[in-house]
Amino acid sequence: MELTDPQQHLKKVSRELPESKTESIEAREILRCVLQNTNDLVFATDLNGAIVSFSKSTEEVLGYRGEQIKGKHSKELAEDSVEFERMTGGLFEDGMVNRSDFPFRHADGHPVYCDVSFVALKDSKGKSAGCIVIARDITEWKKFQEELIRVDRLAEVGRTVSGTVHEINNPLAVINEISGWMGVVVSDSEGLNDDDRADLKTSIEKLLEQATRCRNIARQMLDFVRDSGPAGDSFDLHELLRNSVSFIFPELKSKDVEVLFDLMEGPLQMHSEPRMLEQVFVNLLTNAIHAIEEKGNGAGHIQISTRLDEKSVVISIADNGTGIAPRDQKKIFELFYTTKPSGKGTGLGLPICRNIVHKLGGAIHVESTFWKGATFVVRIPIRG
Amino acid sequence: MSEKADIKVLLVDDEETLLEYLSKRLLREGFIVKATFSGEEAVAVADENAFDVAVVDLKMPGMDGVETQKQLKKMQPYLQCIVLTGHGAIDTALESGKHEAFEYLLKPIEYDTLVDTIKRAYEHKAQIQNAKFREEVEDIYRSGLGARGIKKAMGKLRKIYGID
Repeated sequence: MELTDPQQHLKKVSRELPESKTESIEAREILRCVLQNTNDLVFATDLNGAIVSFSKSTEEVLGYRGEQIKGKHSKELAEDSVEFERMTGGLFEDGMVNRSDFPFRHADGHPVYCDVSFVALKDSKGKSAGCIVIARDITEWKKFQEELIRVDRLAEVGRTVSGTVHEINNPLAVINEISGWMGVVVSDSEGLNDDDRADLKTSIEKLLEQATRCRNIARQMLDFVRDSGPAGDSFDLHELLRNSVSFIFPELKSKDVEVLFDLMEGPLQMHSEPRMLEQVFVNLLTNAIHAIEEKGNGAGHIQISTRLDEKSVVISIADNGTGIAPRDQKKIFELFYTTKPSGKGTGLGLPICRNIVHKLGGAIHVESTFWKGATFVVRIPIRG
Repeated sequence: MSEKADIKVLLVDDEETLLEYLSKRLLREGFIVKATFSGEEAVAVADENAFDVAVVDLKMPGMDGVETQKQLKKMQPYLQCIVLTGHGAIDTALESGKHEAFEYLLKPIEYDTLVDTIKRAYEHKAQIQNAKFREEVEDIYRSGLGARGIKKAMGKLRKIYGID
């Protein structure tokens, strides 16, 4: 509606211009105000389409300086000047042309999408005198709309994936069971020589390994798309962190990794989703162990620290493993991005962590120096 | 394999190929196995044969796992049910599990876990069954029946509990 108001006003102004001197001064003042203060792009052209005056925002939105705009043909501001001419071709017959989602071009080349109106200006004798162009930048609105569509599509993908993965689990279970059976038969069979038996057993083991791999992917996929209700709980974060560590204790022990706690004193009560948070911590700790193992020079340690920051708890998990190469740092939270060798990583762990943390109203980021280690920092509201 | 020789297992799952191989493997290990592919079939079979342990899939077309479990328990109160549930369905399983499943196992099941759970379910069954049996035996002794009366009552009990 705001778009049409100044337009109507301008039409009125243009009609009244010649009638009285005082009114015309007043009108000019109003026009100047409009041009200075509107957020819309407003500019006037002469009959040939050359820009004669323009609002401040025209410079800002399209990235030009005033002197660059003045005198420029208005079609040069459009992404497609041919289309611009076609659109405005009937302007003087019709008096007005409206178009939504029309691309102008920013000084640096990118398109600026606008809802735009062209209004023909006529002098007192009804002769065409020029044109007023009013355009509103809808880039933000478009972005918002695209985001909405994306979220909607993701939700749809989520539902589909969830159904598909459930369906895949059944044949996987069958493959698993048949492999198991074959293993038993091969072990007991009397008609096999030792080499063949060993070979078959290894083959079956590999079959089982691969089935397990599929199963893990399927499980993580479900974790990723699962919609958890907002059923929160009160718990001691420090206890949860210790539990997460004891959960992976066997792996810590076998890889000779030491865990150091640098926690705030006493228990740290918070209200959030303990089970989901545990999943995040176990995931981050497992990654840390892998990074230390990959570096492979022993003396691995992971330091877990907590501190309060306003209404959030900040948990840092720092390791002295391989660290993350700068080019990977931006991508590690992307779905299916993995630096682990094929078959080891699914590229789901960190996206799941980020998903959970966001769901709990928090944030996660990583700080890392390559080959020195990585620190994952998780921030969670105390009362989710 | 003598420890398993007497364990009678009823399998209920609509995934036929899975059950086929699962029962082959369990049979080979010495369990007595009956595979059924629906809740209805399981109930019909259990009407004629006694089982120690039932392995029931929660999600089946027709009679679902919860209802099947309920029916089986009604016919054979000492029968222990192991319920198989899909990922993420555990909460639903627990909510609907008012019929005291011995244990819930997440699908896809690990064979070794299943075997272990069946054995534990069997032990549990034997335990409560024996306790109940002893209780009733004591009741008979306390009831002040004569020697002949006791012998008769005991014979009846042995029959009920399948003890030879």
